[in-house]
Amino acid sequence: MPRAIRGVLIECEPAIKSIIVHLDSVNNDIIIEDLDEQHLVVKENMVHSLKQKLEERLRETYRPEEPLADSD
Amino acid sequence: MSVGTQSYQLVDYLEKLPGTTFRKLYQQPSTAFAIFRRMLPDLAKLFVQALLYAPSPLLLSQLDIWVTAAGKLQRDRALSILRSLHIVQISPPSKDRPQEIQLATNFMNSLRHALEGSSTHSSFGVPSTLPVDSTIDVNFLDRYARKKWEDILHYVVNSVGGDGVGVGSAGGAGSSSGSGPKASVKDLLLAGRLVERRHDTRSGVGITQAGFTFLLQEANAQVWTLLLLWLEAAGHNPDLGMESVDMLSFLFMLASLELGRAYDTNALSEERRNMLPSLVDFGLIYIPRDTRQYFPTRLATTLTSTSSALRSLSAGFAAAAANAPGSAPGDVATLGPAPAATADTKGSIIIETNYRLYAYTSSPLQIAVLALFTQLNMRFASMVTGRLTRDSIRRAISYGITADQIISYLAAHAHEEMVRAAVTKGTPVLPPTVVDQIRLWQLENERMHTTAGFLFKDFDSMDEYLALSSYAEEVGTLIWKSDRKQMFFVSKFEQIRDYLKSRKKVE
Repeated sequence: MPRAIRGVLIECEPAIKSIIVHLDSVNNDIIIEDLDEQHLVVKENMVHSLKQKLEERLRETYRPEEPLADSD
Repeated sequence: MSVGTQSYQLVDYLEKLPGTTFRKLYQQPSTAFAIFRRMLPDLAKLFVQALLYAPSPLLLSQLDIWVTAAGKLQRDRALSILRSLHIVQISPPSKDRPQEIQLATNFMNSLRHALEGSSTHSSFGVPSTLPVDSTIDVNFLDRYARKKWEDILHYVVNSVGGDGVGVGSAGGAGSSSGSGPKASVKDLLLAGRLVERRHDTRSGVGITQAGFTFLLQEANAQVWTLLLLWLEAAGHNPDLGMESVDMLSFLFMLASLELGRAYDTNALSEERRNMLPSLVDFGLIYIPRDTRQYFPTRLATTLTSTSSALRSLSAGFAAAAANAPGSAPGDVATLGPAPAATADTKGSIIIETNYRLYAYTSSPLQIAVLALFTQLNMRFASMVTGRLTRDSIRRAISYGITADQIISYLAAHAHEEMVRAAVTKGTPVLPPTVVDQIRLWQLENERMHTTAGFLFKDFDSMDEYLALSSYAEEVGTLIWKSDRKQMFFVSKFEQIRDYLKSRKKVE
């Protein structure tokens, strides 16, 4: 008999996925199944906090240039 | 933009009510009349009129006389609306008798009374016989209602606040004399999730996506949104001694009253007198001090009509833009049942390809709305300037406002010069670069796409995997699969489970 596991499928870029894998490596409490480069299944109750952590991580590393301030 | 949404909301609410509630509601001629006038499509009205004075039930097939073959769909829709509002009764189909249709007794009697003005019911309000203060005229009531309503809108908008943008906050507390809506109204907005508690704002609450949708609605739809929240709140709290059926028929009664006339509070039941304070808070009625009179405002009298209640937010912006500061108070011209279409075409926002934004307005409300997603820089007597930045858009998105909402707001309020230029050049009204960039800024926030569901794994054989995954694909629940890993992910579980069971039986 096959098994059915409740969870949330996440589809994202490989770069984002590697961050999620890294976040999971601390407590191993996020990922249920690592599917492929762009897909993984995570626990339903962790999605919200995962999104927040991801946002924090991206804020540290990603800072695009704004157009120059108004000169008028 | 959102014309007619109010009746949809109301229909949704009404359709959930049980039949007994409708029987009570239809005891009031004003309710039956308001429902007939406002909630029914034309064909349904025709059916009601045909049945109204019919001495005995009509055969259902007789209604087909009015309907061409092509109109069958409309006939079915009309009948289903009439049934869901419990206006007609249709006998169940049987072999020996053809189906018959008739009006529900209460509805029929009440609508007859409403049309004939018969019986001595007070369903359409009892005018006050006491002397009336002559300063309370239509202009006064319109000013009063608008003030009350804008306070509520301000509360929703300014729930953002505290971002340090000078212009934005200037549009807030300082402008509307700082009174704001009553605590009960604030609670309703919270309960309806138009705003939510948040600690990072000055007022302790923040606007939600539903709140932004609310702001973009026509005034009439906004009023109904709030009133339905009020009805629901009363339903949850029986201690208040207000029955939602009575509240609803009271609202329908208010809608039938005449603007500018004084009505007698003593003619109301005690329950209804208890509702008056809430209605005052919403701006639906005005009660002068120490009198036994109440005046319905335009917010109340237009509840069940198609003419616009006060001005919509968008029309208000246009009016504010047209009114130089210091013009006569109570710009009455903008208040009347002015056709919303002309008002809507007068936008005030100009946006350039370099993300700079100019809004020709002095309306604190519009400025506050703009401050939700714009970095405002300067404010002049009749205009504000600012620009859309990554941060300002992302902040708006973090409140739950979507990129599409911002874009449609900008498009709906674009200055007529922008519209004219776009028409002559055959280009979109908003600069495509800006529109795309707003969408991209939103996408940055959505780094991953999530789907809740079930992962299937550990199959006994490749055949079993293939059979189940292709079945999931057939029923349309398959989201992802890997033949190599022999796993797949589905959004729903039930069909696969049933399929597995049925296969087991066969084996």
